[in-house]
Amino acid sequence: MIKTSNVTKIFTGRGQIVRAVDGVSAEVAAGEVVVIIGPSGSGKSTFLRCLNGLEQFDEGHIVIDGVDLADKKTDINKVRREVGMVFQQFNLFPHKTVLDNITLAQKIVRKRDRDEAQQKARQLLQKVGIAEKEAEYPSRLSGGQQQRVAIARALAMDPKIMLFDEPTSALDPEMVGEVLDVMKQLAREGMTMVVVTHEMGFAREVADRVIFMDQGKLVEEGTPEHFFTEPKEERAKTFLKQVL
Amino acid sequence: MTGSQSIWPWKLLLAAILIVMAAGTWGAVNRIDYTWRWNRVPDYFLYKSEESRKIPFDGWVEKIISVGSTSTVSLVSESGEKVTVKVATNTVRVSESEDLFEGDTIGFVKEWRLGPLTTGLWTTLWLSAGASVLALIIGLLTGLARISRNYTLRGLAALYVEFIRGTPLLVQIFIAYFFIGTVFDLSRNAAGIGALAIFAGAYVAEIVRAGIQSIPKGQMEAARSLGMNLFQAMVYIILPQSFKRILPPLSGQFISLIKDSSLVSVIAITDLTKSGREIITSTFATFEIWLTIAAMYLIVTSILSQLVFYLERRLAASD
Ligand SMILES: Nc1ncnc2c1ncn2[C@@H]1O[C@H](COP(=O)(O)OP(=O)(O)OP(=O)(O)O)[C@@H](O)[C@H]1O
Ligand SMILES: [Mg+2]
Repeated sequence: MIKTSNVTKIFTGRGQIVRAVDGVSAEVAAGEVVVIIGPSGSGKSTFLRCLNGLEQFDEGHIVIDGVDLADKKTDINKVRREVGMVFQQFNLFPHKTVLDNITLAQKIVRKRDRDEAQQKARQLLQKVGIAEKEAEYPSRLSGGQQQRVAIARALAMDPKIMLFDEPTSALDPEMVGEVLDVMKQLAREGMTMVVVTHEMGFAREVADRVIFMDQGKLVEEGTPEHFFTEPKEERAKTFLKQVL
Repeated sequence: MTGSQSIWPWKLLLAAILIVMAAGTWGAVNRIDYTWRWNRVPDYFLYKSEESRKIPFDGWVEKIISVGSTSTVSLVSESGEKVTVKVATNTVRVSESEDLFEGDTIGFVKEWRLGPLTTGLWTTLWLSAGASVLALIIGLLTGLARISRNYTLRGLAALYVEFIRGTPLLVQIFIAYFFIGTVFDLSRNAAGIGALAIFAGAYVAEIVRAGIQSIPKGQMEAARSLGMNLFQAMVYIILPQSFKRILPPLSGQFISLIKDSSLVSVIAITDLTKSGREIITSTFATFEIWLTIAAMYLIVTSILSQLVFYLERRLAASD
């Protein structure tokens, strides 16, 4: 479903050159849940953002469902329809109601008519458990509710892949569970997911594979059992000691 | 002690200061021996004109039919040609079967006419409205160009904004009329509106740019990640949110535009200010006219700010 080879992203700013993503090659099969972990600044977000073209990478190839993002002729908007993204800061549209947040892109990108889009939106709101809030504005929802709306908004586009960038990091602890529950359910339904998170419990329970990144490089990858119990790399061991 | 209790001494002080200032002005005006003629001012808004109606040929009056305040006078020429003329009954100067020569006055027609203050205000209003619409379009495009990725577009927009903000509007109006207007054969109205629009457009551009940049980056990213293209993301996500933020400074800019429009009187556009100057050359009510004109500008601008205030409150629904 996703195949990246030697992806490199270089930031240049104030005379400094940062290799935020440094030659990462990875694969994600359809229906697989891959969790990316690593210390702060290791390039997890940057790598994830490369996967849907929010960040343009300097070297390498990313092939999504057979389409190469490095190819100049690729219509990135078409790819993005198939790749949903959930952000740490939710990024709901504050001037739209919950329902409109979910129907807007369906109407203008997927060209669905109003009724169809609303029906889809209500069905998804039901699924993430906040059907009663459809007429509210995002500012009147709790963080956990906002993030669930954001997930519903991404799902409404019927994506083949969902990317999550620390979806629970901005949440109060008591709301983390409700968002993780939605994600677990998605995983069970067979959604292809790439999740950057600090929730080691989630990684252990849901991930098919764990990728550990440090300083832009993919340092180690493997099943959760392998990674959490007997990591090979020294850096991974140090990291696990700190977070567990 | 609560806030409402402690404020009334300050209200009293404010009232006292205003009264002292008014009294001082009044005293000063009295000393310079000025005769106030406020009763003349209403005529400059609306007046009743009397226009004479004349016979277009040599002939005679066939008959006069008076219905209420209007009379219909039927005239017959020496060659048998007939015309009827309507005049006010109490101004009829002729009687039935009287012989008349071409150009003799039959009577008068009384009509309400708009005075120069009203027409001047109207000119100021449409001039400002036209310039505002253009300024909004120019400002929006320039503001977007200012934050575009294209270096040439950014450079052009920055140069335009710098040039306009670095030169006086009065000079710009002269350039627009005498230079550009001559080269491209523009009317004075076109030159006036154009100069005002280009001037205000530069400021609107900066307001638009700041408004767009004040929207968190995540909004654009969320929109793009849903597959919207740049244009759709701008139209549906970024601009509506910026609009709410730029509305207050934008309305301030348009209020300035209404006031600045008084400068176009230098290229002989008869706006409110120019009308005032013309009235004063034929009357001696200098004080009254300028005070009236100031009040008229004030009323227009406060109506506008009230409208914006109302709009802002309606837009605040999602906060
Ligand atoms: N827009 C940018 N311009 C310059 N440098 C950047 C930019 N975005 C990220 N970086 C740098 O790239 C590196 C990787 O950042 P990234 O945000 O991908 O890390 P991360 O693993 O997601 O960290 P965190 O866990 O804190 O979110 C960091 O050193 C960061 O300073
Ligand atoms: Mg990050």
